[in-house]
Amino acid sequence: MTAPTVYLASVGTCLPGDPVDNTTLAKLVGVDESWADLFIGNTGRHFAVDLATGQVRHTLADIAATAADRALAEAALEPYDIDCVVMGTATPDQLMPATVNLVADRLGIDNVPTYQLQSGCAGAVQALDVARTLLLAGRCRTVLVIGGDVCAKHLETDFDPGSRTSAELVNYVLFGDGAGAAVLSAEPVGGDGIEIRQVLNRLVGLGREPGQVIDWFGLGDRHSDRTAVSEDYKAIEETVPALAQQMFWELLEDLGWAADDVDFLLPPQLSGRMSDRISAEMPAPDARRINVVRHVGNNGNALPFLQLAELLRQWEGPGRAVAVAVESSKWIKSGIALERS
Amino acid sequence: MTETTAVTSVREPIAVVGLDCRFPGARDAQEYWSLLMDGRDGTGRVPEQRWDADRYHAAVPSSPGSTSEKRVPGRTNTVRGGFIQDPDAFDPGFFGIAPREAQAMDPQQRLLLQSSWRALEDAAVAPQDLAGTDTGVFVGVMANEWAYLQLADYDRITARYGSGNGYFMGANRVSYHLDLKGPSLAVDTACSSSLVAVHLAMSALRSGESDYALAAGTNLIMTPVINIFYAQAGLSAPDGRCKPFSALADGIGRAEGVAVLVLRRLSDALADRQPVYAVLKETGTNQDGRSNGITAPNRWAQQRLIESVWQRAGVTADDIRFVEAHGTGTLLGDFIEAQALGELTGGRSGGSVALGSVKSNFGHAEGAAGIAGLIKAVLALHHRTVPPSRFAHEENPKLDLPGRRLTLLKSPLRLPSGTVHAAVSSFGMGGSNAHAVLASAPRAVHRGRPGAPGVFTVSARTPERLRANLLAQADALARRPENQLAQLCWTSNRVKSRLPHRAAVAAGDLPTLVAELRAAAERAEEAPRVDPGRRSVGSVAFAFTGQGAQHPRMTASWYRSCPAYARHLDDIDKELAPHTGRSVRDLVLDGDPELHRARFAQPALFAVGYAMAATLAETGIRPSYVIGHSIGEFAAACVAGALDVPDAARLVARRGALMEALPEDGGMLAVGLDAAEAEALLVGRQRLGLAAVNGPHATVIAGDLDELAEVERELTERKVAARRLTVSHAFHSPLMQPVVEEFRAECRDVPARRPLLPVFSTVYGRELTGEETMDADYWARQITAPVRFAQAAGALLAGGVTHVVEIGPRSVLTPLLARLTTDGGHPASLHTAHPGEHAPGHRPQQLLGELWCAGLAPQWDVLYDEADRVPRRLPPYVFDDSFRAWRAGTAPGLPELSAPHVPSGADTTAVPSGAARGAPCPPAPAEDLPDSLAELTRRLVCRVGGHDPGHVHDHSRLHEDLGFDSIRVMELKARIENALPRLGELPVEDLLASLRTVGDLVRYLRSLHLTDAPVPAAPEGTPR
Repeated sequence: MTAPTVYLASVGTCLPGDPVDNTTLAKLVGVDESWADLFIGNTGRHFAVDLATGQVRHTLADIAATAADRALAEAALEPYDIDCVVMGTATPDQLMPATVNLVADRLGIDNVPTYQLQSGCAGAVQALDVARTLLLAGRCRTVLVIGGDVCAKHLETDFDPGSRTSAELVNYVLFGDGAGAAVLSAEPVGGDGIEIRQVLNRLVGLGREPGQVIDWFGLGDRHSDRTAVSEDYKAIEETVPALAQQMFWELLEDLGWAADDVDFLLPPQLSGRMSDRISAEMPAPDARRINVVRHVGNNGNALPFLQLAELLRQWEGPGRAVAVAVESSKWIKSGIALERS
Repeated sequence: MTETTAVTSVREPIAVVGLDCRFPGARDAQEYWSLLMDGRDGTGRVPEQRWDADRYHAAVPSSPGSTSEKRVPGRTNTVRGGFIQDPDAFDPGFFGIAPREAQAMDPQQRLLLQSSWRALEDAAVAPQDLAGTDTGVFVGVMANEWAYLQLADYDRITARYGSGNGYFMGANRVSYHLDLKGPSLAVDTACSSSLVAVHLAMSALRSGESDYALAAGTNLIMTPVINIFYAQAGLSAPDGRCKPFSALADGIGRAEGVAVLVLRRLSDALADRQPVYAVLKETGTNQDGRSNGITAPNRWAQQRLIESVWQRAGVTADDIRFVEAHGTGTLLGDFIEAQALGELTGGRSGGSVALGSVKSNFGHAEGAAGIAGLIKAVLALHHRTVPPSRFAHEENPKLDLPGRRLTLLKSPLRLPSGTVHAAVSSFGMGGSNAHAVLASAPRAVHRGRPGAPGVFTVSARTPERLRANLLAQADALARRPENQLAQLCWTSNRVKSRLPHRAAVAAGDLPTLVAELRAAAERAEEAPRVDPGRRSVGSVAFAFTGQGAQHPRMTASWYRSCPAYARHLDDIDKELAPHTGRSVRDLVLDGDPELHRARFAQPALFAVGYAMAATLAETGIRPSYVIGHSIGEFAAACVAGALDVPDAARLVARRGALMEALPEDGGMLAVGLDAAEAEALLVGRQRLGLAAVNGPHATVIAGDLDELAEVERELTERKVAARRLTVSHAFHSPLMQPVVEEFRAECRDVPARRPLLPVFSTVYGRELTGEETMDADYWARQITAPVRFAQAAGALLAGGVTHVVEIGPRSVLTPLLARLTTDGGHPASLHTAHPGEHAPGHRPQQLLGELWCAGLAPQWDVLYDEADRVPRRLPPYVFDDSFRAWRAGTAPGLPELSAPHVPSGADTTAVPSGAARGAPCPPAPAEDLPDSLAELTRRLVCRVGGHDPGHVHDHSRLHEDLGFDSIRVMELKARIENALPRLGELPVEDLLASLRTVGDLVRYLRSLHLTDAPVPAAPEGTPR
């Protein structure tokens, strides 16, 4: 009898609206186009809000449900086949109800366990971890995992571009909105099954200042002058590459794989420029890199799913893939190892 | 054990493909499911409309003791039960039933009709498509209370009441109105009737007697008779609720229900990719025989039946995940059922079997009880969740359910993935038992093409219903996954496109579709009425656009979104390529501005027009006439069979090339003058000619640029509108003369053949007649001759064409035609295949929707890829519920206490509007004599049929819309003779032969030398 395993049945993604390029961004929020290209490296992103009018066109629940629909269709499953839903997001539509349950309602899923993990982009990996654990424990047969973020709340559309600092403008260039979903199952679905061999998550923030803070406000403190979103880019730039490499080796040691065995590497996605740098510094130089942030923007919990979707497009025949995500708020390193035999 | 093939086919699984139901607290299947999942109570106090609950109630102190002490003769011990909402509502007009007749029908028949229609639509089948088929109808029914009320007074029995008797005519009524020709029977085995009906339907499907079967159950409580009987027998629960397997169980509460299942052989359903709720693996029935009294349940008979059905289904207790029990909630009944079932489940391996009964939610629906339980099990398998059973928290310990490995479900049970089995029991009071084993539907996934567009069609019997149905569809679509858009559209075309008031919405994404359906609902009142009976009568003309309409990327959206168009354009491009030297298709689709050169513009317009016409023909929109403007005449000639396609391809390429080679020294000027005035301008100007006569004050002159400039100046002085056209050459002018002979030579091999369709020639300005052909001379002359479009189109419109479709990449001829139709008072409906650059990406879909709304019957499949021709469930038709008729249940010989006052002459209450309930239908004012023949006729029709005068129009068809059968025609005849004594006796044959609509009847009467002046009338206001 073989050891119990878990399969990645399908991936679906959703990017709201048309892509917004740097030229458009320059026009709408006064970002310098060449600065954006040079220092951040992101060339496109999608927004759930119409930057020109400020009208919010999609909620997180909208795009997450669409991504989930696509993942279900891809796996040839119906909503009633799903016996658990796990979602990771840093930007739920509301604190309550949890967005995962609104998504389940859209899909017609009921009477199953649901979980929402409050986390940055490592949340996607955390969600995959919860799903895999439940499957291995025999608690479920088919789990829908969702990740997504929408930053409409943090985009001001009616301001004077000249009054913004570059730190504020970075956010417009760096971030984007999106959602992704994956179906994990206890049995292979369809033809060749991709096994999820390992998922790891580790908090490494003891004594470390948060690299990113997203605050929230209510009636009592809505007039406070705290910054809604802030990043310590210096700390991020220094810490992420090291954590990413640690996670990579940890996964490999766990599985007894050599770096040469890895065919695909999905590095952490921060910005187009940084991801290229981290990517280049990562071990396994022959493994094909799957980077997407340059074109879709940093959409948090959607990123690992967008990378997985791209991986599935490129992946033919047997092989091994390793994905690493690092959350720079209170510092979490996480990773997944996939194998197709 | 080996089974022969024959045995295997006998055991063919039967798919539940559609269903509709109404139960207490649930108006449809969706509400039924929420009622079950929420564990809600559907019971309530006996509605006043039924009977005076207090009058037949004897309050009994709830002291312990033998039930026999509590019995009071003629009284029941409860004022509660499970009653459905609005059992008196019906949409008689939808089924072509006269209100009078509807009023004389057992409401069970009325509800069965509507539910049957809805269940078929739920199966993604147009009920009309089953007309004439061997579809069987099996209706479980035990309530005959309507007859008890209605037929007790012998003097009031009329012809209608016989056929209105729901008990024995219920199934036949459905077969009659849906024209179903398979077995049609009412099944009465008391409380197991509807599950026995399902069993019979299974047999009919397995034996091949039917390919579709409707299995139904119905129960309406119109009198307290059975309540009194249950109370007298000590079986009636004082709170009117069944509490199955509960320590609280104290008898039966009665309930109503109407439900219809659509069944098919599973292999057929899967082959058609039809959605399947669940699968019936096996059913069976048996009898207690001579047991412990005729009404006592029998443990051994139940056990034997369940055992044999499970065996035949090839399952054991280990396979069964849940049992929907009969579970009446009588102590004895529950005990015997638990024993019988427990004998089989007690030795089960693994956990216990879930147990429940829907009777806990609303009571015992008697004739509909079996199907209520069956639908619950079917929906549970579909949703993969078993709803809880009410009163489960206080399980009856004496039943020892845990020892029998039975668990009364206290909360919903999620079913595992993979095939799951369930069982349903229904037992009859007289000892007829029924049992069924079901399985979850096999996995069948049919993915649609992402992003494929479609056109969603909704039709209804009235504008008001169109609105309601559009909104119902919009609400449901808002919750569907986007990759099903085209499949949902295709299903709507297949299921919902046959009724007279129509709306169509083409879309490429679901949110847009939903928004547009809501917008269409706002305009529903404006939707024109289409007579679906005359679908073949429409005579369509294709009008082919001429040069100038071309634009880069023209019809690229057709190429992308309509595979048939792409195929036809590819084909014609191959024909043209040898003559044009390059692919005209690529030139068009790539947006090459070279397109405007005559050498390419002419073949490109021909290609586009030809491919569009061929595409429309493939959808069944075929022209009866053609007309073409200038170069458009070539495609028109091809479609009319006057010109072979290879010849036409060669000629248009040559024609364009010849003209392009001419010097570019000419121009064209559109002038706001009629032909004669324009010709006056040409006198003395040799190098100018009349190029086109497009309308009464719309003429084009063409020729030498200098002379044209003079004319333009002159017109400006005279303040006459004149506009230069953007053209490379002066087409249809004397400047074209140099190429005429060469082109004639090119045409010399063209066969002189009479067209197969009438061609309205724009060379002659009239229809081609007699031996006239489109030969070399014709095409040579066409180059310089003016395009006499106005005259030709005028002749076309005068000929009675009903629809004109402009074929071409832009709307050019349509505005011209619009003026001609308005001026000439022609009623033709005008359409543009492709309105121009700004046409939406799903224009072909939109066009077919438009043509369908205008009364044509396109074959929709052409618009969809094979992967998108998959039926999906859509909400079924929402009927008009404004008609109401009911008969209150009071014992004969007793004065009615709770029934509203019924005027003399009206034997029941039936009014067209709920607001006016209690008034007779229709109002018959004695003073208000009709002042014209038309009004008198309408009034008499209403009187005989009981229709609301507001709903009877000249176009109302006596048989189909108003439900007049021969009996009613005779009654109408008598009333007319009575009202119009001058006419004498009307000959029946004439009357029958000439009567289709109310308008026909009026014309017929008028033809009997009557004037339209006020006619003397007999006092029809007095009801007979």
